[in-house]
Amino acid sequence: MKKQYLSLLVLISVVPLLGGCWNQRELTDLAFVMALGIDKGEKKKYDVTYQIVEPSNVSSGQTGGGGGAQGPPIVTYKSSGNNLTEASSNVTKQIPREIYYAHANILVISEELAREGILDILDKLERDTEFRTTTTVVIAKDNRAEDLVSTLTNLDKIPSYKFIKTLESTESLLGENIKVTIDDLLSAITSSGKEPVISGFTLMGSPEKGTSQQNINMTRSQALILADDLAVFKNGKLVGWLGQNNSRGAVWLLGRMKATNVDFDWKGKKDAVSTISNLSDTKVTFTVKNGKITANINIETIISLSEINRAFEIKNPNEIQELEKKTSVQIKKEVESSIKSVQKLKADIFGFGEKIYRQHPKLWKKIKGDWNNRFAEMDYQIKVKTYYRESGIRDNPFWSDINQ
Amino acid sequence: MSIISKMLKKKQKQRKNDNYRQKLDPSDPGELLIHRAYQENLARIKEELGNSSDLVSKEIKIGNIHGAIVFIEGLTESKVISNFILESVMQTGEIPLGVDYYQYMLDKTVALGSTKTITNWNDLYDSLLNGDTIIFLEGYNKAISGGTAGGEKRAVSEPSQQLSIRGPRDSFTEMLRTNTALIRRRIKSPNLWTESMKIGTVTQTDIAIMYIKGIADDKIIQEVKKRLNRINMDTVLDSGYIEQLIEEQTYTSFPTTYHSERPDVVSSQLLEGRIAIVADGSPFVLTVPAIFIQFFQAPDDYYSRFDLSSALRLLRIIAFFIALVGPSLYIAGTTFHQEMIPTTLAIAIAAQRENVPFPAFFEAMIMEVTFEILREAGLRLPKSVGQAVSIVGALVIGQAAVQAGIVSPVMVIVVSITAIANFSTPVYAMAVSARLLRFVLMVLASFVGFFGIMVGLMIMVIHLCSLRSFGVPYMEPLAPFSRKNLQDVFIRYPLWAMKNRPMHISEGNMVRTGEHQKPGPPTQSNKDTSQSKKGNQQ
Repeated sequence: MKKQYLSLLVLISVVPLLGGCWNQRELTDLAFVMALGIDKGEKKKYDVTYQIVEPSNVSSGQTGGGGGAQGPPIVTYKSSGNNLTEASSNVTKQIPREIYYAHANILVISEELAREGILDILDKLERDTEFRTTTTVVIAKDNRAEDLVSTLTNLDKIPSYKFIKTLESTESLLGENIKVTIDDLLSAITSSGKEPVISGFTLMGSPEKGTSQQNINMTRSQALILADDLAVFKNGKLVGWLGQNNSRGAVWLLGRMKATNVDFDWKGKKDAVSTISNLSDTKVTFTVKNGKITANINIETIISLSEINRAFEIKNPNEIQELEKKTSVQIKKEVESSIKSVQKLKADIFGFGEKIYRQHPKLWKKIKGDWNNRFAEMDYQIKVKTYYRESGIRDNPFWSDINQ
Repeated sequence: MSIISKMLKKKQKQRKNDNYRQKLDPSDPGELLIHRAYQENLARIKEELGNSSDLVSKEIKIGNIHGAIVFIEGLTESKVISNFILESVMQTGEIPLGVDYYQYMLDKTVALGSTKTITNWNDLYDSLLNGDTIIFLEGYNKAISGGTAGGEKRAVSEPSQQLSIRGPRDSFTEMLRTNTALIRRRIKSPNLWTESMKIGTVTQTDIAIMYIKGIADDKIIQEVKKRLNRINMDTVLDSGYIEQLIEEQTYTSFPTTYHSERPDVVSSQLLEGRIAIVADGSPFVLTVPAIFIQFFQAPDDYYSRFDLSSALRLLRIIAFFIALVGPSLYIAGTTFHQEMIPTTLAIAIAAQRENVPFPAFFEAMIMEVTFEILREAGLRLPKSVGQAVSIVGALVIGQAAVQAGIVSPVMVIVVSITAIANFSTPVYAMAVSARLLRFVLMVLASFVGFFGIMVGLMIMVIHLCSLRSFGVPYMEPLAPFSRKNLQDVFIRYPLWAMKNRPMHISEGNMVRTGEHQKPGPPTQSNKDTSQSKKGNQQ
């Protein structure tokens, strides 16, 4: 009896060994893909560029005996295929390590490819067990994705961080770009009442010089990656760009405005005042009259005075009202122009369709089929309410004293 | 098991054939009785003790009668013998006729507090070997045993293992009586009962079972006595022997009896209804029953305020888990779940491991084993060379090992954190179990990653829940869960809120704190203060 128990115990203790480390991979056997660049292929459908981190060149700490000459923090490999899986299989011919997607945080799609359609690349990214759908997507404006992915950057040694951090800081401080993940992109594509919008990135300078380590040894980069306009998609294809003036209005309308500056004239001086809107809320409701849909856009925002280059009486309620009013007018102007330009593209990136579906589900069923045209002809009313709250650590500007 | 018991039986048989002294059979009075002729008795002692050199025998003459005193040097207080036995014996003049010499001797000559009459050899050896002085008188078949036990002993000193910032500074010594006195000095209640017994067929070690009658559960007291009586072994050199013979489950890495070198800790355990087992010759007193969470309760928890002590206790529990899973998390993270590590850290670790030739598991194993060797060596080394170990140790698990390319810096940190965390468990016995199980979890992690760690931890928890200490569930009050009993588990409630003794340990007499004990700003009526005085219960 005891012998039986003993043998059973031995058998059970052997069970964990049967797995035999089947999934074991040492960190040093992995090639961490940090960014993925997808271009329209020359021979095959896609050219995919893999930005792979070179760990020992990134961490400045001791690496135990290694040291010596430091190379670039990343290397890029390029392969091509008629789909992403083929490209990813082909690239193993060049990379000595196993490709590992779990830490990829940027997907760059070239404008050329985006104009032809991005639907064919999304399933692989969503289905892959390693690739995260929280990965940020950007569009390479006027550039090849390969060039963007291969450029070395300052401050953040790993270029893919540069994309994300730039996006995050510009989204929270300027409000002209938004961070879109693969998840967001997919939900916008699959929704009938919403079209995706993706931030664009561009390369300033020479793509060739950007790949050289010299680029990060100079105070003035020879090649600089920077966030640019917003790309408007329709049916999975890029149909147009929202430039600097229009993209901020779009961000207002999307309700994703975190902070931005609003400039306007004051007492005859051009752009004398700059206010920062800190906390904003956008509400869109729809009213239907005689079959015509009107969007009522209500924007509320709290502003602080950032700069004023003209005399100003801070304790005067009239002056403050004036300040609030002028900010409101300026915001309204931006939003209006944004709606107009998007209506021209007939792509409802603001998700008005989804909102109508929520507010008037019956109506939405009727107009769903013809939504893009209806969106283009839609009426809108914009109301902006501004609340002045603070003025920095000054009250009246020194201009008030000079003029007296 | 059966082989061992067979061997034991064989040994016992052998012993019977041997020539040395066995305890005499009480049913055989001829052998047992003390001889009337004192010289016969002296000769017999000398023979039976093999003429041991520490046996002192001295023939004396008290008035007109001959006799002898026998004692063992070193076990006795020589001053007491010379002042209160020898001196008074020598000063005794003629003893009047018609008086019982023995009684005269007992009443007028031996000036000792504790004397007793001995009539058989078994008692005689018990007394003699405990440090008493035996006085034989010619013509009497009984002997006087005078309590002269004493001799060299270690003074009460500061605890060396279970240190505390605040709280009493005394600790148990090797003397049974000193130890029981240290406890009794703290609990001045007639209900603190002490029962004695001797364990160890050869060593005849004195054992004291202490408990507070009325608080301790009678059933558990009976069980403790039963288990102690069951012990049939030649040696008890430390309470550790007893611990191993009375615990419920041998095949576990968790201690199911508690031990402490601090009288205050043992006293508080007694007041919770536990039973203390004090063994002569051991500065560690056992208390039973023991539960899991008890090993994370440091004496400081009760001497300092509840907020701080609760936070520190949580820290200790977290540290226990770090000590348990630290290296295995590293192994699992770096070899199976690279996606779980933040990108920057993953890259940093990858960079550090670039030049390490071993897989993560072996790297961790090398470092952990090295550290354990270092720790063990540090424990055994004489104090004079102790410094050498710390210097060499810093080389082996430090910068030098990293520079040699054997391990990565992050591994050094993991090992160090694990080691430090391991030392934060207040009771060594529990810290050791984490130390041991760590290696099991490392092996599991190296095969199946986090999944293996989870399986290991689950088996561990199931095992913990199955354990019992003297019938009390080991994971009490977590499993079986009792909300009322959580007063002293993860968070130590304020003293005034710890109203009850732990359940299952003291059955019946549960309330320990009176009502209205919560302090506060002065109130106008004196009602509260008068009530609180009454409220204190035993």
